[in-house]
Amino acid sequence: MSFREKSAWITLVTVLVCFGIYFGSIAAGLVSPRGFDTLHLLLACVVGLVLLQAVLTVVAAVTTPKDCRAPRDERETLIQLRSQSLGYSVLVMLVLALFIPGHLGHTVIDMMNFALLDVVLAVLTVAVAQIVMFRRGA
Amino acid sequence: MDARRLPIANQIRRLRFEHGEMTQSELAEKIGMTRQTIAAIEAGKYSPSLDAAFRIAHVFGVGLDAVFQWEAEA
Repeated sequence: MSFREKSAWITLVTVLVCFGIYFGSIAAGLVSPRGFDTLHLLLACVVGLVLLQAVLTVVAAVTTPKDCRAPRDERETLIQLRSQSLGYSVLVMLVLALFIPGHLGHTVIDMMNFALLDVVLAVLTVAVAQIVMFRRGA
Repeated sequence: MDARRLPIANQIRRLRFEHGEMTQSELAEKIGMTRQTIAAIEAGKYSPSLDAAFRIAHVFGVGLDAVFQWEAEA
């Protein structure tokens, strides 16, 4: 597995775990979506995400030292462009769909969480698209 | 034929073995690509740019048509 594919897996797993904990806790009612607990949990999840990604990326770089130093080749660049294009389309659609909770009378904090969820889903889309394209060849 | 397979055949695997059993990694290093990209080209899953195709042919010291052949659909 190439370093770039490992990076896509790292993004997928770490974002799923960290934001899964964040949104899962809100959905399960473990923290109040309007309290400071949510803010603290968000900060903890973001710090955890950064640390986890840094550690796993170092491990990936150590196991594929040649790949991580080499610039992207044309196929990797194509995969990056296609996946980001798909992620952008998903993000635009999800942001446009924000008017639905807006009309349902959700608070500003709820809307910020919905917007954050949109960004997370777009990032996951990019990572999944990259993994699929790496597995298929291009 | 695999539905996802591109209509371009290639002789890279044969040419590698005819050139001292060159590995995919060695070929990849010579043309500045990853081993995975060479594997995808060999398997007919990725069509390289014209520039990359010429660089592959140059490594083997042959013309482009000795490496890649377009397979017209029947």
